[in-house]
Amino acid sequence: MAEMVTILIDGKPIEVEKGTLVIEAARRIGVMIPHFCYHPKLKPDANCRMCLVEVEKMPKLQTSCSTVVAEGMVVRTNTPVVDEAHKSVLEFILANHPLDCPICDQGGRCDLQDFSHRYTPTGSQFTDTKRVYEKGFFSPLIEKEMNRCVSCLRCVRYCDEIMDVKALANAARSTMTEIVHFAGHPLDCEFCGGCVQICPVGAITSRLSMYEFRPWMMKRADTTCGYCGDGCSLILETRGEKVIEVMSSHGNGRNNGDLCAKGFFGYQYVNHEDRLTTPLVRQADGNLHPVTWDEVLPVLAERLTQIKLAHGADAIGGLISARCTNEDLYLFQKFMRLAIGSNHLDSTARYGHVNAARALRRVQGTNRWTVSYEDIVQADALLLIGTQVTAANPIVGLKVKEAVKKHGATLLTLETLVPSIETTSNITNLSALHVAVPPGRHAAAVRGLVKAAFDENLVDAALSSRAGDYVSRIRAAATALPYPEGLDEAALRAVAKAFAGARRGVILIGQDLLQAPGGHESAVNLLDFLLLLGKLTQPGWGLAPLTEENNEQGAVEMGATAEYLPGPADVGDAAARTQIAGAWKDQPPASQGMHLLEMLDAARAGTLKAMLIVGENPVRSLPLSAKAASALEKLDLLVVQELFLTETAKLADVVLPACSYAEKTGTFTNSEGFVQKVRPGLEPVGDSRPDWEILSSLSVMMGYPLEYGDAKEILKEIRAVIPGYRVLGAKPEPAQVAAKSVEQYLTRGFAEDLPARYSAGAAPKANSHRWALAVGQTLFHSGAMSTKAQGLLELQHEGKLIMNPADAQRLGIADGDRVRLTSTSGEATVPVTMLGRIPEGTLFFPESFREALAGLPSMTPDPVTGVPYCKQLRVSVDKVGTGGASSGPPPARIAGGK
Amino acid sequence: MTSAFSKAAQERIPGIIARYAEKRGALLPLLWLAQEEQGYVSEEAMKEIAGWLDLTPPQVYETVTFYTMYNRRPIGKYHIQVCRSLMCALVGTDNLLGWIHAKLGIKTGQTTPDGLFTLSQVECLGSCGTGPMMQINDDYYERLTQDKTNRVLDDVKREGKCPLATGPFMFPEPAQK
Ligand code: SF4
Ligand code: SF4
Ligand code: SF4
Ligand code: FES
Ligand code: FES
Repeated sequence: MAEMVTILIDGKPIEVEKGTLVIEAARRIGVMIPHFCYHPKLKPDANCRMCLVEVEKMPKLQTSCSTVVAEGMVVRTNTPVVDEAHKSVLEFILANHPLDCPICDQGGRCDLQDFSHRYTPTGSQFTDTKRVYEKGFFSPLIEKEMNRCVSCLRCVRYCDEIMDVKALANAARSTMTEIVHFAGHPLDCEFCGGCVQICPVGAITSRLSMYEFRPWMMKRADTTCGYCGDGCSLILETRGEKVIEVMSSHGNGRNNGDLCAKGFFGYQYVNHEDRLTTPLVRQADGNLHPVTWDEVLPVLAERLTQIKLAHGADAIGGLISARCTNEDLYLFQKFMRLAIGSNHLDSTARYGHVNAARALRRVQGTNRWTVSYEDIVQADALLLIGTQVTAANPIVGLKVKEAVKKHGATLLTLETLVPSIETTSNITNLSALHVAVPPGRHAAAVRGLVKAAFDENLVDAALSSRAGDYVSRIRAAATALPYPEGLDEAALRAVAKAFAGARRGVILIGQDLLQAPGGHESAVNLLDFLLLLGKLTQPGWGLAPLTEENNEQGAVEMGATAEYLPGPADVGDAAARTQIAGAWKDQPPASQGMHLLEMLDAARAGTLKAMLIVGENPVRSLPLSAKAASALEKLDLLVVQELFLTETAKLADVVLPACSYAEKTGTFTNSEGFVQKVRPGLEPVGDSRPDWEILSSLSVMMGYPLEYGDAKEILKEIRAVIPGYRVLGAKPEPAQVAAKSVEQYLTRGFAEDLPARYSAGAAPKANSHRWALAVGQTLFHSGAMSTKAQGLLELQHEGKLIMNPADAQRLGIADGDRVRLTSTSGEATVPVTMLGRIPEGTLFFPESFREALAGLPSMTPDPVTGVPYCKQLRVSVDKVGTGGASSGPPPARIAGGK
Repeated sequence: MTSAFSKAAQERIPGIIARYAEKRGALLPLLWLAQEEQGYVSEEAMKEIAGWLDLTPPQVYETVTFYTMYNRRPIGKYHIQVCRSLMCALVGTDNLLGWIHAKLGIKTGQTTPDGLFTLSQVECLGSCGTGPMMQINDDYYERLTQDKTNRVLDDVKREGKCPLATGPFMFPEPAQK
């Protein structure tokens, strides 16, 4: 229990924890002390002097934002002396602040406005002219009006303390202090929007919504971000049919009010002019033509029924995006399993998350994390393996930064990036121990960790006596392998040792590990590692896979994959089948379902006749060599529910316009297994409909009505059927490791694939292509959706190959030059840029622009989980052209900018 | 890669960093070193310093702009700094500025076309009893009159120094001159 002290504020007693700031204590009893520089997220800086209060026995007024409570302290916040002080601080600020509220976007939610109103100063003793800053271009997305700045430095401190980016400088001094980027250059940073949100006045604002609104004109919808698995709470601010801006609020949501560029600036795809607004049907002329829902649905239902009658339900397959809501996902699999009668269904969780989910279920009995974000923040050791956390899961990245910077956690990283200070943060800069792992080598690094657990004598004695066979067989398998070549053995062993010595530790794994050969085995091996250390069942410890898309966790739990029924439960699990049959009043099909790649094969072979694809674009997601397009073309019927006419939709016979998350009601389940609400900010665009509603209507027409009044009714059913959704609390409840599963694993389960899990793996095929290329997430894009968001395009509108500056120098390549990449499967020509964080010999290419790589990547499916691996390849590099040539013109400037 | 620092200067850097408990502590001396090298602190130099000290370039820039003694633009070979604080102002800062203008044709902030002299006004240089005064590079010239000023400027232009110099008063003293 924290020690408590009692203080008196304006005559009211309040008991607070020792160490609380007076300004916070006051807030708790509803006394709002005016302030600018104070923000609960930031360390006190006490630079603005706005928060002065009287404290009995202290000779001078005190800044309540930096004064800590003490037993018996008597504070007064509203005496004439205090008021006078507040007024004079305001007077100083207003000596320079322009009277431009009428054209300031902050107007209506500005602290300076509010305080001025509160103290109603009518005149000023200052007669000097106000300072005026020269106005220049600051950045494409963030606007700066320094005349309005009150020099509270919240922006600078946020960018440093929270983001660890340090892109803002407090230049010059005294009255002419100015917030700038380096040497007055346009801002180059993570564009998290944090400085926009934390500025108490209108000095830093968003250009995307410039001059478009007054705060009170907008409707607000509290919802959940649709980009990554971090599951940030955000507020859609809308007017009419348009999202004007996105905000978040401090203290709210798993993100605690922080956002990333995708969340804050990436909303405009919702209102993109290319959104599909009516159903399209391919007609006799071979083209897609607009039709009405009333026209399309009966015909579609009939064709599906015909195919089912002619070829059996197994001739129909389905694929859904894990960006959909749980309600969509649940109804999709129910539609496939009951209305169609097929188990051939999959979701985009197949692209990687299935690897982790299956491993977790197998060993701990639950596919969920046994930890939460709070455990990350409180951990004293964090082990990151192949996460690229800042780019792929920025908010989890902030939790890691908080653990390290605020609480002194030891950060251990097995990542492809290497430490290098640049204009975006780099988590490896905070590492206590870093092992540079080239693309595709994370699985080997994990095997090395397990070996190190033995070599460093870290194995839990209790486990050795309880599960001697398990320990000795893992020991034999793991230590028979040499440490992976090219990785720093000593560092790897030191990482294992440091992690084992922690009080609480969390392992975070990401796409570089899970979307690479050995992804599934590595996840199991890491659970071995935790078991061996005796930590898997300890509170605060766990393996935490991060998901790339917002609802991959939900997709698995809704049963939207071939192997799982809702729960998830294995399709073949008799008890689960009985339970679900009870709820559904019908049996799910018993056949073994095909996953995505198997469905494509079946389509190619002509046994799969029809596919229903919801919100996913396999033609783009899979490399050319997967030949997804030709497989889909062979289908008798391809139905696509989409926001845009994607490459896959273009092949469809029927395209149905779907709603974006901004128009939907439902829930998303984030990486940590927390179920959060999605609320609509807009009416459906055009004639688009929520995915579940489309499926529901189809089921009715097919004579197997899955009818629900609204998404909430589906959620009700989900909650009845899936244990983890029964109670939806205000905070995530980390799952518990099921002792029975662990027992089962330790006695028998581990052995099934032991040799495969601890084999050195196929040595990377030697060929003349010596560069390791990784395709992955970047900070500004995720999937293809983000490339329809104007704001994000302003930051990055084309895919550039990133290489280490030293490599570039050796090859005589300058920023913007073009190179030809050659792999065993093809070649592509792309522009180049440089970053010191990409290690020498390694190349990186942003996943969202992967079409530029064309036929370059090849694909290997995981033999067990069917995950298609196509993100690591070996290439040769040849310079083909010089000078800033870039593919396509930059996007048009945003209207409203100066 | 090319550097804003000469080979000799680069060799001094590790030693300078080692003097401080925290790398960041070496920021001011390294900026000064950069200025000794190029006469001003270039963006390239700031970036290099950021690299050595694990800072971001904006963090270095912020410090550079705080101190008036770091030049952010190339300046003339000889930097004339005229004290404009109270004591000197009372005894003739304005006169001194006028004499310099008459002699060289430059005002505060300007550089002579031949690139030799740049004129700045600064706060108290600690010679308050002997004003008006100016500092040219590391040397002080005190109790200036128009004649004396002309002579100093002529000498400096011709020989790079003038026997009327009363400085430098530097701490720590530069390694060797
Ligand atoms: S990273 Fe960029 S957007 Fe975020 S706080 Fe720093 S300067 Fe602002
Ligand atoms: S820009 Fe805003 S947050 Fe930054 S110092 Fe100025 S007023 Fe404060
Ligand atoms: S993309 Fe992820 S980290 Fe960024 S705002 Fe959305 S949920 Fe949060
Ligand atoms: S809020 Fe306390 S000094 Fe700024
Ligand atoms: S006032 Fe000029 S040197 Fe002190």
